Amino acid sequence: MKVAIFRWKAIVPLLLFLAALVGAWLLFADRLGRLALERGGTAALGARVAVRSFHFSFGGGSVTVRGLVAGSPFDSMQNLLEADELTADLDLLPLLEKKVSIDRLAANGLRFGTARTTSGFVPSSGPSASAQIMANVKSWAAQPALQVPILQLATGKLSVDSLDPRKLQTVQAAESLAARADSSRRAWTAAFDSLDATTTADSAVAFARRLQGARPTDLALLRDARRMVDRIKQTRDRLAALERGVKAGGATLDQGLASLQIARRRDYDFARSLVRLPPIDATSIAWVLFGPEAVGKFQRALYYTQLGRTYMPPGLLPRAHDGPTRARRQGATVEFPRAHQPPGFLLRDAELSFFLGGDSAGPRRYAGRLQGLTSAPALYGRPTTLEVRAPTVTADGMFDHVHATSRDVMGATVRGIALPAIALPGLPLRVTPGRGDVSLGFALYGDSLRGRWTVSAPAATWQRDSGAAGGLAADLLWRVVSGIENLDLTAELGGTLSHPELHVRSNLDQAVSERLHSMIGAEVDAAESRLRVEVDRIADQQVAPLKAQAAQLTAEANARVQQGRKALDAAQQQVEQQIRRLTGGIRLP
Amino acid sequence: MVILKLLQSLVKALHSEGTPGQVAAGMALGAILGLTPLLSLHNLLIAALILMLNVSVPGAALGWAFAIPLGFALDPMFDALGRQLLLGTPALVPLWTALANLPIVPLSNFNNTVLLGSLVSALVLFAPIFFGSRWAVRRYRATIGERVRNSALYRAVSASKLYGIYRLFRPET
Repeated sequence: MKVAIFRWKAIVPLLLFLAALVGAWLLFADRLGRLALERGGTAALGARVAVRSFHFSFGGGSVTVRGLVAGSPFDSMQNLLEADELTADLDLLPLLEKKVSIDRLAANGLRFGTARTTSGFVPSSGPSASAQIMANVKSWAAQPALQVPILQLATGKLSVDSLDPRKLQTVQAAESLAARADSSRRAWTAAFDSLDATTTADSAVAFARRLQGARPTDLALLRDARRMVDRIKQTRDRLAALERGVKAGGATLDQGLASLQIARRRDYDFARSLVRLPPIDATSIAWVLFGPEAVGKFQRALYYTQLGRTYMPPGLLPRAHDGPTRARRQGATVEFPRAHQPPGFLLRDAELSFFLGGDSAGPRRYAGRLQGLTSAPALYGRPTTLEVRAPTVTADGMFDHVHATSRDVMGATVRGIALPAIALPGLPLRVTPGRGDVSLGFALYGDSLRGRWTVSAPAATWQRDSGAAGGLAADLLWRVVSGIENLDLTAELGGTLSHPELHVRSNLDQAVSERLHSMIGAEVDAAESRLRVEVDRIADQQVAPLKAQAAQLTAEANARVQQGRKALDAAQQQVEQQIRRLTGGIRLP
Repeated sequence: MVILKLLQSLVKALHSEGTPGQVAAGMALGAILGLTPLLSLHNLLIAALILMLNVSVPGAALGWAFAIPLGFALDPMFDALGRQLLLGTPALVPLWTALANLPIVPLSNFNNTVLLGSLVSALVLFAPIFFGSRWAVRRYRATIGERVRNSALYRAVSASKLYGIYRLFRPET
């Protein structure tokens, strides 16, 4: 029995089934497109993406998306962006290869950082690329080099160390001078004793008495008289030399006493150093106050850059990503880019129209252009570029993943716009910069980082949360900053991904430091005065007796010199008088 | 309910007018539907083959019903196999690259590890399933088939409305 291979009567039901399938697809294409966009966007961004309506026009080859809302991966109650309408002109043929090629995209009504009413975070359903990147970025920001210390401004009281007399230079110098004075006393006493001018004078007087009974012919006695006169003169010369030594020694002691004043001034400085101020490091204040905000800015920039590197990788090697969500296992979907073929996704040119700011005049509209956004930069051959030019807004971005080493650079400057408030970490304070200028630059070359965030706000206002204590540091800081209107802030990032360096400075640094110093200045003055009196008391105990000792020593030495000189003069006069009597005034040879 | 439907498929398939070969071919094609992720382009082709070729549709339903839990259970193995084929075999990369840049083919999601692994596995198992099930149907009909045909359960099933729909697609012998 021959069995037929085909079941011809099933053709009609099969065609009907296929027609129903196509009809259902056409009927639900918009809904399926919306779901695909929401699921794909959510998975790629790592935050909830919602679309109000999605329309795919086969005839026009266009897609219109309205009410696109993309949550922020960093703030559950904030949106990364909202778009009123996105209109994309599609190439239809690449769709047969499951490739999306958009010639032109018009994005209207873009808004950034708008508030949400529900959380934009999505529960993690396993290891995804965005979750992995977020974990890596959080790990990067948790490095010690980017951790901000807890604010400790003048929270400790003024401390004064005890004054140790042994460490005072005045005391040490006085002890040294006293030793030198004793030494001088001993030396001079020994010199006077060895000179013995009184004995010489007494001998001369006794010799003069012998001459009273002598005759002029006693020539030997006359020679002895001459020798006695010479001896008296020699003794006087030695006494004069000793007198010069005493004067020099006295001058040295006077110099030593004068140097005690210098030592005392040093002791005053030493005593001042014992007054320990509370720790106030001006350079760390900006780091403590604005460091977390700066790290947050750079962390976001790094996240989106890494996201771009993940979905826009360089090279043409096969690359795997998570498969579609379904009841069965997701698996991995592997892309196989091929040279000279269109990439899986390409957005050639996008015109962006967006709103910024929200002051009394309402948000202002700006325009920009995004070009060359693709999933395979090596196939497209050119970097992705972003450009916004307006009188008050300038933004540029260049994401070059064409070559093996990716280079990502972006920067934006906005002038005269209402800047969002900045909360100070760990303190019940926040600053609202008001209208001002802000700029953010970020570059990632390979793993080398460069970043700069600046804020310039001439009319900043400070708010303190009511009911929050905050402690002494908050009180001090509030008293200081509440009077400062101008805010200039600069944060600079450098280094590499594994070894980042962050420097933050602001005009608050010096202001806070000076204000805190002035607030504790009176207390410092009182402490320094007390220490000065103590230094004087200890020094005077040593110096006053030393001065008296030096004066007494010099006076005694001078008195002995005068006394010796007087005795010698009298003795010489008597001897010479007897010689003249014996010789009758004739000068003998 | 699921068990009842499975039973119904089993009874219909084994007692259909189709030859054991038609039933076995239906089961082998149905197994492809069950082993691979259902919403895939290749399964549209398989479904068309089941309808167009003169195979047993209940057999296909039976093969599908049996293969679904098996597919879920073997997904880790399919994933590993697909990963090996797509990423672990450099010699095949030119083939995948060529296929990925052809029209229509990429819509089949062949570049998904689970899908490729399960599809390759199902194609490899096609012949064993076909010959195995053909032998089993023959043995069944030769042994207890007639007694089951005369049972009250079979008569109840064959009298149901579903049986009428089935008759539309019964194999032509």
